Amino acid sequence: MRISLIFFSIPLFLTTAFLYVFIAWNLYYSFTNYSVLSPDYQFVGLATYSQLFSDPLFQTALVKTLLWISVLVALGNLVGLLTASLIYNINNARARNILTAYFIYPLSISLVASGIIWRWLLDADRGIGWFLGNPLQGENAFWSIALVSVWVYSGLATLFYLAMFYNVDKSQLESAQIDGAGRLYTMLRVVIPQSKQSLIISTIFFTLFSIQMFDLPYSILFINPNIMTLVMYTFMKFTAFYLAVASAAAVVILALSAVIVIPYSLFGLKKWIR
Amino acid sequence: MKFAIYLAILALGALWALPLYVLVIGALKPLSEVLTTPVFMPSLNVDLATLSKVAGELAPVLLNTTIVVIPTALGATLIGALGAYALWRATTKLKDVLLILVAVSTYLPYQSAVVPLARFMTQIGLFDTLYGIALGLLIFYIPFATLMMLIFITALPRTVVEAAEVDGAGEFAIFTRTVLPLLGPAFASTATYLTINGWNNFFIPLVLSRTYNNHITLKVFSYVGQSGNLYNEMFSAALIASLPPLLLFIALGRYFIRGLLVLGSGGK
Repeated sequence: MRISLIFFSIPLFLTTAFLYVFIAWNLYYSFTNYSVLSPDYQFVGLATYSQLFSDPLFQTALVKTLLWISVLVALGNLVGLLTASLIYNINNARARNILTAYFIYPLSISLVASGIIWRWLLDADRGIGWFLGNPLQGENAFWSIALVSVWVYSGLATLFYLAMFYNVDKSQLESAQIDGAGRLYTMLRVVIPQSKQSLIISTIFFTLFSIQMFDLPYSILFINPNIMTLVMYTFMKFTAFYLAVASAAAVVILALSAVIVIPYSLFGLKKWIR
Repeated sequence: MKFAIYLAILALGALWALPLYVLVIGALKPLSEVLTTPVFMPSLNVDLATLSKVAGELAPVLLNTTIVVIPTALGATLIGALGAYALWRATTKLKDVLLILVAVSTYLPYQSAVVPLARFMTQIGLFDTLYGIALGLLIFYIPFATLMMLIFITALPRTVVEAAEVDGAGEFAIFTRTVLPLLGPAFASTATYLTINGWNNFFIPLVLSRTYNNHITLKVFSYVGQSGNLYNEMFSAALIASLPPLLLFIALGRYFIRGLLVLGSGGK
């Protein structure tokens, strides 16, 4: 252990410390009544939290976020698995790589750009709403934008599933072929059952993406109760300078994410440090 | 069976092409048709006036975004590589704790730090400045880059440094002469990932700015409010803003994809 190693990691120490100071700072604000009405804030214990949880809009945001997680996890995995299975069965390796990248491209453009495009594709007058009824009105808005998020993120699951498919033992594929198994049977019985890890990873990532959901609904419909997510609620309270409430909502976001992030990091550590 | 696979891929692929197709034809549509035709209807007349007008409005913001994102992404990657190297070489058990702290903070949603982040930037006088956005991105990107680089470094055999160690080389010399040259693909993956991410980031610039000129995503977003029904203006802005990351993705896509795989490798 040399001293120079400590020097190398000083920026890392500092930025990591920053992040934890932010978390602590956030926690501290959530126990105050800091807002535009009381800029000289004081400690109020859990009062801000009881205010937060009794706010119907926050309840909506919590429910919508949990619903978003289930939609994105279910459909994102389904679409990703389907796409990966199709790509896997194409014989040309180059075509497979190009197609994989093609289904990932939505991850390389900003959610604001995607939001703008889909806002118009779904428009009541000049998009598909013209013959389907308004997809962005009322309760429809949530389902429409949740589907758009599936379009954005499912490529990630495609990638993770394909990575596991490629790990399948060649001899197993050959013996299935010798037994006269068709492609569909081989996929369902041999290949897909060996991709459980991808299901887990995709689910973890889709859950985190759903908890973070903001850019997409915000650039399609701005702040709107029909698509209120936890981050949108936090942002709304932040811009209105209800900082204690915003911090308390952020603590809820952190708590929700920690349930997934902490086990994932502990589990990943075993793999990362060898 | 083969035919069914190709047909299914084609159908799914069309759904992925539709937004890009609409984006391009929408950006090139003349004003008269914008107000009367559906978004997916192509126009026979190509109108470059809107695109060039929006490009003129976007030019200074594109420059602002470039000077923030490129140095931030490269800097974070280099600093991350140093940190990852230190963690890899360290023998103390303390590094496990640090690594868990880094990993947890990397995967936690940065959106939850909005209040302290904005308060902090206000207090140090960097609110609504490019420096503020760069610092904001760096705070989140350095632990992130460290984790990504660490996963790549761990894949290197330890024997590569042992020889240099026997020669009595210092840690910095080992890092720059022996380890860094082997980390080319890792560097490319992390830097590409962070560049695309920084370019597309909306939330951090949004909460650290008062106006829309600090970051390209903010500027693009501003058209949603001001252009009303003129979707050709919004599409022009979205198209121009998407071209740099899309081109980067086409050129360095395999590095970006490797980065995504690495991020998901914790579960494998």
